Amino acid sequence: MSTPNEPQNPYGEQPQNPEDPFRKADPSGQPPAAPQYGAPGYGAPQAPQYGAPQYPGTPQYPGGPQYPAAPPYQGGYGPTPPPNYLVWAILTTVLCCLPLGIASIVFSSQVNSKFAQGDYAGAANSSNKAKQFALWGAIIGLVLGVGWAIVVGVTGSFSSSTSY
Amino acid sequence: MSDVVPTEQVAVGTTPTSDAPRRRGASALAGPAAVALAAGGALVVLAKVDPSQPGHYPTCPFLFLTGLYCPGCGSLRALHDLAHLDVVGAWGMNPLLVVVVPVLLAFWVAWIVRSWRGAPRQRVIPALWINVFLGLVLAFWVARNIPALAPWLAP
Repeated sequence: MSTPNEPQNPYGEQPQNPEDPFRKADPSGQPPAAPQYGAPGYGAPQAPQYGAPQYPGTPQYPGGPQYPAAPPYQGGYGPTPPPNYLVWAILTTVLCCLPLGIASIVFSSQVNSKFAQGDYAGAANSSNKAKQFALWGAIIGLVLGVGWAIVVGVTGSFSSSTSY
Repeated sequence: MSDVVPTEQVAVGTTPTSDAPRRRGASALAGPAAVALAAGGALVVLAKVDPSQPGHYPTCPFLFLTGLYCPGCGSLRALHDLAHLDVVGAWGMNPLLVVVVPVLLAFWVAWIVRSWRGAPRQRVIPALWINVFLGLVLAFWVARNIPALAPWLAP
């Protein structure tokens, strides 16, 4: 879990999930841990503040629960938010006339809320769903459009006066 | 708009990593330029081929299947009107589209700025904003199918 910018931590401390149920319980009754040098500022999208105690009261967990997905570290930058495909979701909603675009917007929102909470794995998952819904909305809309064009080409004019 | 960062950059589904050097400057603007070209081309076609004439474009599948308007119904006609600088006409066809176009333009500009600087996407829109937009879309969807509101909201 160590990052390229971080000195090796002999205690193997893992970044603490703010929602970690183990966080409250202090099994060893240790006093608030000394600031871990180089503890990455997970949950903070800003540049990591090296040497700053991000979670002062957090006990150490040698071999504690692994955080599922470490955000990729950009040298000198904080974790990169996963794409939320909001633009694709909007375009699918406005141009493809299918409820799939709405679902994509829902997952776009989840990407941002989960990322803001530090749930990077969940955000990546929602990101993928937002992409899938927008993509399939666009594909189905396109297929229906091409199908319509074929029908019109075969049968002549279509009697409908309403377009997109 | 400083804390609003769009996501077009990662449309290819890859998250740039630190070992992939980021292009910056003019060479990084190929993406935004391609999008502008495609959008401009589509707009030219829409301006020339009138969507309010039957038979030019497909009918909205949702409208065709259900008889109800979807949030996107009228968007092609609204874009046609916008291409002819008729904002009032566009608003009458699909007010949601008229609201969304400036937002998309702003996203596009932010994309250019970010590409030019070669910086990764750092901040995200508060999820609340997206949820408000979602509520707006859903309310619009329902409202434009209410006959009493149809003169304002239906295409």
